[in-house]
Amino acid sequence: MELSSLPHGVTIGANDSLCPKRHGVLTLGDTIALAKGRVHEVLGESADCFALTVAANLKGPVIWIGLGRDIASLNPCAVQDFIDPLRLTIVEAVSRQEALWSCEQALRAQGIQCVILELVRGIDLKESRRFQLAAEESGTIGLILISGRAHTSAADTRWHCTPSFDGEMSWDWACTKSRHGGLGTWRVKWTEGKDGSNTIHLVATAAA
Amino acid sequence: MVRILSIWLPRLPLDRLIRKGDPRTNGSFAITAERKNAARLTHLTATARQAGLAPGLSIPDARAICPDLLTEPANPTWEAALLKALARWADQLSPRVALDAPEGLLLDISGCTHLFGGEAAMGAHARQRLGDIQIEGRIGIADTKGAARALARFSQQPVTIAPAGRTSETMKALPIAALNLSDKMVAELRQTGLKTIGQLYAVKASELARRFGLELTTALNRLRGHAPDPIMPAPKKPSFAARMSLPEPVGYLADIKNVLGRLAASVCQRLIQEQKGARRFELTVCCVNSGDHLLSIGFARPCFEPGPIQQQFARALNDLKLDYGADWFRLAAHYVEPIRLRQMRLHTEAEAEDHIAHTISTLGNRVGFDHVRRFQSYDSHLPDREFFQIEAVAKTAQTSWQPRPRKRPLRLFQIPERVRTLEPDRPPKQFEWRYHTYRTAKAQGPERLTPEWWRDSDNRIRDYWRVQTEDGPRLWLLNFPGVKSPDWFVAGRFP
Repeated sequence: MELSSLPHGVTIGANDSLCPKRHGVLTLGDTIALAKGRVHEVLGESADCFALTVAANLKGPVIWIGLGRDIASLNPCAVQDFIDPLRLTIVEAVSRQEALWSCEQALRAQGIQCVILELVRGIDLKESRRFQLAAEESGTIGLILISGRAHTSAADTRWHCTPSFDGEMSWDWACTKSRHGGLGTWRVKWTEGKDGSNTIHLVATAAA
Repeated sequence: MVRILSIWLPRLPLDRLIRKGDPRTNGSFAITAERKNAARLTHLTATARQAGLAPGLSIPDARAICPDLLTEPANPTWEAALLKALARWADQLSPRVALDAPEGLLLDISGCTHLFGGEAAMGAHARQRLGDIQIEGRIGIADTKGAARALARFSQQPVTIAPAGRTSETMKALPIAALNLSDKMVAELRQTGLKTIGQLYAVKASELARRFGLELTTALNRLRGHAPDPIMPAPKKPSFAARMSLPEPVGYLADIKNVLGRLAASVCQRLIQEQKGARRFELTVCCVNSGDHLLSIGFARPCFEPGPIQQQFARALNDLKLDYGADWFRLAAHYVEPIRLRQMRLHTEAEAEDHIAHTISTLGNRVGFDHVRRFQSYDSHLPDREFFQIEAVAKTAQTSWQPRPRKRPLRLFQIPERVRTLEPDRPPKQFEWRYHTYRTAKAQGPERLTPEWWRDSDNRIRDYWRVQTEDGPRLWLLNFPGVKSPDWFVAGRFP
């Protein structure tokens, strides 16, 4: 897996002294780093794809929480391009409150490395703070996919993911907010493994 | 020497209502059942008998005789439940108790009688104890099942004993009906002039068999102890439940949690002894003023430890409203399954499994287990039928996911969403979807899928197009060729 960063080549989080090293970081490519035991917000059309990329780089079960219709449209046949659908447990919450509660419980649980929560309205300061505390306990990466507006929150980073025109499986990932400084935009591209298996490589392209 | 005690409960349905404190049982009251195409009286109260009623009367006839008669149809389910409870009660007399449905019990009392001071004393004791719980019983004691049964039902005394080894003689005077034969057979025997069991002894068994079939001779042999007829107690099911009644109601959460802890410890101890775990626990809290509250929790895998039980009940107990406290608690385990003990700590995979199972339990107990699901693949070529969801707690064979020959959208809309075509083409050059206008930059297709002809749901041919819009999103457009209205739909969205 390789990935080139923007011309100014900022790395996020990984080398920052403020970054909590307690649970380590997850490195995507060589330059994108997501702190473990933290909550990250993801916005934009291809947010789900970002989440699956993160999940593909982690081990163990993945919990995906969302409201009825959002969760019903998730297609495991496409999910399997990224991760084995058997790793996925989905939780269909009937209200936002229930979704938030489920997410907090899942973040707090040991042995689950990735929790994905799908929301329309972003989480606020109080909610995100609770998530942070829960995630710090267990070292889980929490990803909040926001389809509507994002609010001021205590999330570690905020990403904006959109499809790019480069090809079928390419996206632009922009880090628009980070608590440890260092923002940037990346163009990310997946190519299938040569053996035709589910392993997919991230190929570097010049950033926009 | 085998000795059998038979308890006949001649008015079980009526006693059930009397025990319930039904006020109707004080007056003229009868239990009815459907017999010979009419609802007929089966069990009567003393008042009803005095009014001149008898079992077997149809309701209209009975009403004509006694206009203020009240009736209720028999409830076999509840009566069977009461009989089962009485079988458990009869444990105090003998360890080997069998049901003699619908209204009797059979006990093997060999070697038990001396504990009660002899057979007569035992019979009297059993009758007395039954009377204490407001149930009338008649007792027969003999060497065989059939004889004990017959004595309980057909001798007019409350307790009848056939001395050991002299069963045949005691039975002589009893009518043929005491053999527990079919009605038709009894009628046939009566036609031949045979009225008592004693008269049958005089006839050769081979002749009886030739004339009436083996049923009669078998019954007779069993009655006399010439053929074995052992008592077969129902196998005892271990019950994984514990209850606690307190002398004073408790209302503090800490106290109730304490009670739950003790109950859980007791239930779990029994579960572990049997190497079992339960996937569901129900806690009944009997509140002083508002009656029973049933709280239930589930587990993703069989649980046999008190810790998780207490933990999962914590939220339900928190929500429980007890104004004046509760004084009776019962914890019962359901869906009991065998457990497989594993070595912990060395087995990291098993540990991870435990973690996810625990999380599924926690989530399921709040949002409902039907809302915590997993994907399961299904063999179909239609994109919306390639997979389905099952409850995460359901046990399944792990199906592996085969790579699909064609790319499928990450978001698949179960109901395709109609688009407004602005510039028609195949696929449309410009269209509006979800209040946004999109222009097609690139399109790939069609991928034509035929319907599954063996299902008669939607039998339209579908054409799918992968469309790259100029605005970014990669959509999966759907069109039904050969249909008059050339509508386009968005079936999904690619990542």
